[in-house]
Amino acid sequence: MRRSLAVLAAMFTLIVSACGGTSSGTTGGAASATTAAACTVGVSWNNYQEERWAKWDEPALKAAIAAGGGKYVSNDAKSSPETQASNVDNLISQGAKVVVILAQDGTAIKPSVAKSIQNGVPVIAYDRLIEDPKALYITFDNVLVGKLEAQAVFAAKPKGNYAIIKGNKADANADFLRSGMEQVIGAAVKAGDIKIVGETYTDNWDPAKAQTNMEQILTANQNKVDAVLSENDGMAGGVIAALTAQGLAGKTPVSGQDGDKAALNRVALGTQTVDVWKDARLLGKTAGDAAIQLCKNADPSKVSGTAIFKTPGGNSLSSILLTPNPITKDNLKDVLDAGWITKADLCQGVAAGKVSVCG
Amino acid sequence: MGASVPSEASGAGGPARSFATTVSSALAPVTGVLRSLEIDTRMLGMIAALIVIWISFNIVSGGNFLTARNLWNLSVQSASIAIMATGMVLIIVSRNIDLSVGSMLGFLGYTMAMIQAVWIPKNLGLGFEQPYAWVITLVIGIALGFAVGGLQGFIVAFGGVPSFIVTLGGLLVWRGLLFRYAQGQTIAPLDTTFQMLGGGTVGTRVGALGEWPSWILGALICLGIVGTLIASRRRKRRYGFPVRPMWAEVLVGVVACGVVIGTVWVANNYPLPPAVAEQYAQEHGIQAPPGGLFIPTGVAFPVVIMLIVTLVVTFLATRRRFGRYVYAIGGNPDAAALAGINVRRTIMLTFALMGSLAAVSAAVQTARLNAAVTSLGTQNELDVISAAVIGGTSFSGGIGTVPGAILGAVVMQSLRSGMVLLLVDSPTQDIVVGIVLVAAVGLDALFRRRVS
Repeated sequence: MRRSLAVLAAMFTLIVSACGGTSSGTTGGAASATTAAACTVGVSWNNYQEERWAKWDEPALKAAIAAGGGKYVSNDAKSSPETQASNVDNLISQGAKVVVILAQDGTAIKPSVAKSIQNGVPVIAYDRLIEDPKALYITFDNVLVGKLEAQAVFAAKPKGNYAIIKGNKADANADFLRSGMEQVIGAAVKAGDIKIVGETYTDNWDPAKAQTNMEQILTANQNKVDAVLSENDGMAGGVIAALTAQGLAGKTPVSGQDGDKAALNRVALGTQTVDVWKDARLLGKTAGDAAIQLCKNADPSKVSGTAIFKTPGGNSLSSILLTPNPITKDNLKDVLDAGWITKADLCQGVAAGKVSVCG
Repeated sequence: MGASVPSEASGAGGPARSFATTVSSALAPVTGVLRSLEIDTRMLGMIAALIVIWISFNIVSGGNFLTARNLWNLSVQSASIAIMATGMVLIIVSRNIDLSVGSMLGFLGYTMAMIQAVWIPKNLGLGFEQPYAWVITLVIGIALGFAVGGLQGFIVAFGGVPSFIVTLGGLLVWRGLLFRYAQGQTIAPLDTTFQMLGGGTVGTRVGALGEWPSWILGALICLGIVGTLIASRRRKRRYGFPVRPMWAEVLVGVVACGVVIGTVWVANNYPLPPAVAEQYAQEHGIQAPPGGLFIPTGVAFPVVIMLIVTLVVTFLATRRRFGRYVYAIGGNPDAAALAGINVRRTIMLTFALMGSLAAVSAAVQTARLNAAVTSLGTQNELDVISAAVIGGTSFSGGIGTVPGAILGAVVMQSLRSGMVLLLVDSPTQDIVVGIVLVAAVGLDALFRRRVS
């Protein structure tokens, strides 16, 4: 019953999209309009309920696809790898010529991806890696994020005791970030200028656990911790709560990433040194542009701006790695100008005259 | 109680039996003393385990564990789980379970953060840092917790759906609701007065009692203990129940007071961190003495909250009809119903109480983190249930004490923070805590079988 309904729905969409194609063909008349109408881009979200995808990624993706003359269809896997597998099939039966996948599980989705590519529908691995050598991987460069986090902290404290608060052990990003940090501090650690006095993974990137871990690291070292490399903003919040209890917040540099409102506010307040910001809209736009190009030529390596990315699984795939923007007290203007955060949220509690953008 | 073995064992034969007899008769003086003291032997076992854990961590960590600072941290870290464990005891005693506490905590904590950091200041336009914000937040939070927990209790008691299922549903629903309306956003910073509830520091305001109020609190608790001992002795006399010998009475009082005073002493031995103390001295015009400033922190507010909760729940459990009903239902639900106890209403109330306690814990956790995040309270249900069970609450119903659960929470948190102090990674921590949980309950079951 349900299945037949789904098939009916898919057929209906096909008919509607076909009609749409004819109408635009007749009104536009140009050959380009015909190819564009044929370029339906299917997007499989893993969990559309999370704010970010609906608010930032989707509008940018849609706009880029529309600008290229394509058509946007999407569905949501609601955090289930099984649902996502059938969603990908659904997108193709809806006439998608390119599929963009925000993978719930980069391994579980592999069979669907392989099948899709075999059928001549190229796949873009959006934000998260899918270990298929024929997919196009578009993401922010996570190793670079780690590097930028460490650079800002290292600039503030080139010597001393470092604590490193890493993310979830099961998440490959935690290790990508850590390897980027190593590029910055590795030499100083070898030279003995930097001593790592505490380094832990944090279950589920949980800020409360990060706080407890930081408290214990401070206790074990009698507060002699000069800098903290936290891999994201949520955990940086926990770290800073622990530092505040010891009266050290604002004195000990702390890093983070994600561009959380609360974290950008902390950068303005001076308790967090850097927040590496990945503008999701740029990611969406890049993926949208790439999808349009893939419609014309299904070979990912022919998409402009791609390079070869060696995965931890030993595959080499075409990829576009975007450059994130480290936000410190000096360039808070960037996030305001981009409309990422309101001035009221950014400057809440900031004393007058301390930060230029807050007045 | 396990102390009454020797007299029964003497008649039995067989080598194993005779060995047991020898051991018991050798232990006779000890068990005799324990019996006069009327102390639960398993409680003693737990205290012994805790002491072993503390001393071993202290040795391995090179003396970092048994410092005033670490013990103070430990007390704050244990508080939020301990608060919820007191309610979980009553739920498990009445043969139910609540798997939704972590999700409820997340949902309630996030709502409470919204009240003080968004709704009051922005939507109502009243601005940040209103002196009443924390009270309103707390009252609404606890009321909402009561309603949310009560709803689950209603479905369990009146709908006849097993509590495991109802609260498993709750675990998904409350977390889902939280994701729905939070949309991945972190709410921070929170009201500074509210932050005090978490034992944190804002500028020079510290979420702790300070030196003299801590001593006064300690003295009051001591007076309470002595008063309770005297009152209970009188009551027993009046009804012709056997009473402890006088020396045992005094010993119990002295030890209990000693623990209380010792705790206050430790809390007062943890000075404000130097950076905070300097600022405090400047603001209060105190001259720094040559040896450096020493401003005692005192008992942290989360611990004070935990004490109040313990007092209230213990009172409900042992001195009110509600509590007696809970234990009666746990002992034998059918008999309880036949005896005219309103089983459904009582069960519903245990869940409503659990919801309120989840709200109190949520306040402590969000205040401590100075933020509400969507992962708030994840897996707390496991810690809370483990604390209750390590603390001697039995899944077969009718058995379990509030102080036991508090001790269970402290044991769990001691293991966790001790391992972090030693930089043990989190998977290994989980393995150790899991083994300890099973071992604690297993040893207890073994012990009980021997005794009966």
